Amino acid sequence: MNNLKKAPPVLILEDVAVAYKIRGGEIEAVQNVSFEINRGETHGIVGESGCGKSTVAWAVLNFLGANGYVKRGSIKFQGQELVGVTGEELRRLRGDQIAMVYQDPMQALNPSMRLGDQMSEVLTVHRDMDKKEAEKRCIEMLERVYMPDAANVMNRYPHQISGGQQQRVVIATALLNNPALLIMDEPTTALDVTVEAVVLDLIADLRREFDTAIMYITHNLGVVARVSTRVGVMYAGEMVERGTVEDIYKDPQHPYTQGLMRCVPKLGADKASSILYPIRGRVPPPNNRPVGCVFSPRCDYVREICHNKRPELLEFSSGVSVRCHFAGEIEADKWSPSDDILPPEIITDTSPREPILKLDNLKKYYEVQGSSLKDILGLGEQRYVKAVENADFDLPRGTTLGVVGESGCGKSTLIKTIIGLEQTTEGHAEFMEIDITDEISTRGEDVIKELQMVFQNPDSTMNPSYTVGQQIGRPMKRFSTVPKDEIRGEVIKLLESMRLGENYYDRLPRQLSGGEKQRVGIARALASHPNLVLCDEPVSALDVSVQAALLNLLLELQQEYDTTMMFIAHDLSVVRFFSDQVAVMYLGQIMEIGPANAIYAPPYHPYSEALLSAVPIPDPSAEQKHIRLEGTVPSAINPPDGCRFHTRCPRRELLPDGGAICETEMPPWRETAEGHRIFCHIPLETLNTFDPVITQKPEGSNHVS
Amino acid sequence: MLVKDYMTRHPIMISPETDASEAQNIMTENNIRHLPVVGDGKRLLGLITREKLHVPPSDLGSLNVWEISRLLSDLKVKGMMVKGKDLITTEGDITIEDAAKIMLEEKIGCLPVLEDGVVGGIITDTDMLAHLAHLMGATVQGVRVTIRMPDKVGESAKVTDVIASHGWGIYGGGGHDAPKQPGYWDAVLKIQGGDKEEVVAALEQIEGQEIIDVR
Amino acid sequence: MKAKTKKKSRLQKFWDSVSLILASRVATVGSIMVLFWLVLAFISLFWTPYDYNASDFLQNLGPNPQNWLGTDHLGRDIFSRLMKGTQVVLLKTRLPGEGNIIIPGGVAIWGVIGSMALGVTMGLNAGYRGGWWDQVIMQILDALIAFPRIVLYLVVIAALGQGDLVVILAISITGAPGVARLARSLAMDIKTRDYIRAAETRGESVWYIMFKEILPNASGPLLVDGMLRVGYAIFAIGTLGFLGIGLPPPDPDWGNMVNEARRNIFSNQLAVIWPALAIATLVIGLNLFADGLREEMTRYQK
Ligand SMILES: Nc1ncnc2c1ncn2[C@@H]1O[C@H](COP(=O)(O)OP(=O)(O)O)[C@@H](O)[C@H]1O
Ligand code: SF4
Ligand code: SF4
Ligand SMILES: [Mg+2]
Repeated sequence: MNNLKKAPPVLILEDVAVAYKIRGGEIEAVQNVSFEINRGETHGIVGESGCGKSTVAWAVLNFLGANGYVKRGSIKFQGQELVGVTGEELRRLRGDQIAMVYQDPMQALNPSMRLGDQMSEVLTVHRDMDKKEAEKRCIEMLERVYMPDAANVMNRYPHQISGGQQQRVVIATALLNNPALLIMDEPTTALDVTVEAVVLDLIADLRREFDTAIMYITHNLGVVARVSTRVGVMYAGEMVERGTVEDIYKDPQHPYTQGLMRCVPKLGADKASSILYPIRGRVPPPNNRPVGCVFSPRCDYVREICHNKRPELLEFSSGVSVRCHFAGEIEADKWSPSDDILPPEIITDTSPREPILKLDNLKKYYEVQGSSLKDILGLGEQRYVKAVENADFDLPRGTTLGVVGESGCGKSTLIKTIIGLEQTTEGHAEFMEIDITDEISTRGEDVIKELQMVFQNPDSTMNPSYTVGQQIGRPMKRFSTVPKDEIRGEVIKLLESMRLGENYYDRLPRQLSGGEKQRVGIARALASHPNLVLCDEPVSALDVSVQAALLNLLLELQQEYDTTMMFIAHDLSVVRFFSDQVAVMYLGQIMEIGPANAIYAPPYHPYSEALLSAVPIPDPSAEQKHIRLEGTVPSAINPPDGCRFHTRCPRRELLPDGGAICETEMPPWRETAEGHRIFCHIPLETLNTFDPVITQKPEGSNHVS
Repeated sequence: MLVKDYMTRHPIMISPETDASEAQNIMTENNIRHLPVVGDGKRLLGLITREKLHVPPSDLGSLNVWEISRLLSDLKVKGMMVKGKDLITTEGDITIEDAAKIMLEEKIGCLPVLEDGVVGGIITDTDMLAHLAHLMGATVQGVRVTIRMPDKVGESAKVTDVIASHGWGIYGGGGHDAPKQPGYWDAVLKIQGGDKEEVVAALEQIEGQEIIDVR
Repeated sequence: MKAKTKKKSRLQKFWDSVSLILASRVATVGSIMVLFWLVLAFISLFWTPYDYNASDFLQNLGPNPQNWLGTDHLGRDIFSRLMKGTQVVLLKTRLPGEGNIIIPGGVAIWGVIGSMALGVTMGLNAGYRGGWWDQVIMQILDALIAFPRIVLYLVVIAALGQGDLVVILAISITGAPGVARLARSLAMDIKTRDYIRAAETRGESVWYIMFKEILPNASGPLLVDGMLRVGYAIFAIGTLGFLGIGLPPPDPDWGNMVNEARRNIFSNQLAVIWPALAIATLVIGLNLFADGLREEMTRYQK
């Protein structure tokens, strides 16, 4: 229904430029950004890191720090100019009408104060509400954000509740004042997908109920598609495209937006939709932006004029505005990938190969030290964190196993145990027919060099004190795989296959971008030509356009060297294209394992089904089943008996007695013909009847009533 | 259909210390006519309207140009707003027609809506008109018919039965005593599903009722 | 072309460090104070106004055109003695035995190097290996710290007699626990980084990991700490000299100068001030320098 009422927008930014003063000059982190947000509207701002998203938010809040200031343009909040206004006046203008939610909830919570006190302070200080009344109001608000056991939470300290719950407290606190504008900067980035899904639902509800204008900042295209009505795409400090979510996702106009859409996994029905095409190059730093169009060095359509003249913002009748000289002329579906970003062809060699790694009921328990007097004296019962339980599978040579699951489910422990950084508690592991159950110090050099690892965090994967060349050369030297005088040549060869030139040899890690560091990390792992490479979320910390390039590269190298791989990821979309096999873990237990395609279609394990329906998909026309898990992941110290998922399983009802059996008995492995195994009491016939989680919305169903 | 569902939430508000000229600007720029005046924590102190900002010409008669401009720039909202018992407010939980009644009786164009003692929104005559337009189905396509019927129980049911039997839908409408025709009732309906001829043909069949306008 | 850019970058590097120091006013002041003494020390290697040990003048003179800072109770030129005294602290160490063997590097410098070597080894082992190693090493360090410093000095010197090396040893032992604690906490932080995991998965030895992977990344804070420690060491040498158990003659020792002047404080007040001032300025200069550098370095990282 189109609204006849025309209330003025809550926030209007016009041509805003923000600059930071730095040593010897200043950088314009944000240029020419214009947009407005209406009541009850969520305006997404999406872009890769360093594009100036947070800076926009800080400019509105006047939190730019000592060295930042709004250089040009105007920011109007509730019809009143904020730029150039300072101090008391500004406080009055913003009053309690703007609230902010950050990525890390602990940034907003005081760790040494009860949550109830922190929340009610908002009401007692500004509004003179009496304490009793304020507490009552807080509890109501907590219930509105679906906080279980709200009254009890009021008495706890922040560290006593989970991250997802902390974020809910922050949101509830922000809403207590009923702000006109709510700014959220990556509020769900630190949360697991299933928790994120709940928080996103919540945000959508609250917007409707309170008519709040929300500025939602994120790097995740899927999240924006789920929460926002309109979206602005930022690149290198500029807003390059803006429009409704439907328009932007269905028919992106700016080459950058088009590129972004092609490099995020879509998780659609067919595997082809998960092919990723990276954008070449990388985001320029703010002090080194090209003249003319900021995107010109990476653009497929670049022409002479793009290098000389900055494009103006072109507005289309649909309301979409685009900053490109050729907006409207570029047809996204005529695009074809150039050779350098083409993903490698997947050779689907189905002939079974011998397993290179065999796990036989592998267990890893960590001892936990209690803090009671009894524990200190050693009288208490020894307790364990059961991080990995009964991992049991074979990994055929030359294949890739994707391992997915939420944080803390034991993915990293599993590979650390395999590689020998942790001592196995029970069970047995065999690699190339050699026993590797014990720690790395007990292993021979021939095994060590065949088993290497790639790490998650680009900032800590490389030793800051050594050059790229030294670090990649080290394994060659240590394992003497290459004669000393040939190491340099070999390293350069490896660098080149990583698409990094010889000139990277002498660089130090701090001179590299995140993606480049990860490439070096991979090169280092491959330097000894290992047979098995274990990758622990190698792309999670990277921007999407870089992530795609790295995934394609890994795939190519794997095929070239015939390497076997285990690849950890926290969301199901990333591993899809990439893996031959996928394993889904929950609370230390592998719940489902099988050929990649089989995991994404029924029969599903109930947990995989929930996970799939939680993943935000960057495609507003995709229809996703709405399954939300209740409660939180139980502690791994005392995991639930029977099926570990029984405390949250939405599918137990299908079993007799509401799944009483799940609480007491370990489920059996249900196996399909194609080697797809599901760890569940529900029989396969029933699992087979589940609908696919993701389907395409039927066209044109916008009708009322 | 309660006030809280139709009011404008998060209205633009100003503080009592704002200059009158500034308030004037805010109104002009945002194309609005009412500004709630609030203190800390959004507590309502008063309401300023465009009329209130007009300084009566008689006050200015005796002053020269310079004095006038000084007078104008010194004026603060505090001294000009509606306040105290002249300030009429409402809660979000009353019906929209009750709010309309209050506005008519008091001859005012705007009601600040209080929630928990602080400003939760405002509802103005514009909102009321928008609501009327929506009620009548102004925002949807369809056939608008006005039917005159005897003011008796069961008459409107006849109409809805006919519409339902054709599988059409009613997307808006209302009713009123027929002007200058005691004992009759005019009903307006926005009907979707059939075209003009079909709708007229179907409704003409009803005995004792008359179609007085179709568009 | 390539060589050119490289050369430029080395010069650049040097200029970067200098501008780092200049960026902080505190570090600039500190470095000027330290440089002042360093320059005096170098000059004294070749030239002092007068012979520092000869009683050429009247006793207890105040400052005058010939003796800028006056003379002491034996009629020796104080300025010459102060200049010469810088050498043992900053520039040379006299080894015992025949032939007056001298090695470069002052007693304060070697003392700090000693405590760094000892402390870093213990700290890295405690921090990286953890568990049982950590427990034992920390117990030893706690025991050492529990002793008052002066008592420790006295114990070492009483056991080994006087001499430059003994002072170095005393400084090393008393300084090591502090260094070790710092090194331990740095190691505990750095060992969580992924590149340490990478080294472990390559099967590198514990010593390689501690000294090749961890130490280079801990060197920044350790160097700053070392700089501060040179200050403490100078102070310690002064204290020992004052107690009469410091650096042996013939070289003048600032602490000893204070001590001797103290006895004549009624006939010549200024004589006690000069060496005390020398110790103070050098120590404060080093402190300022280290503080400013630390501040500027952490800002640089952000
Ligand atoms: N206080 C600051 N001083 C100097 N540069 C800054 C400061 N804060 C952010 N920047 C720079 O501004 C750019 C935009 O940063 P940011 O707004 O945080 O991006 P995003 O939120 O999109 O990741 C980045 O290049 C960042 O390095
Ligand atoms: S202006 Fe040119 S370079 Fe920039 S996005 Fe458009 S086509 Fe590409
Ligand atoms: S075994 Fe029971 S609780 Fe576990 S996943 Fe299956 S139905 Fe759910
Ligand atoms: Mg950010």
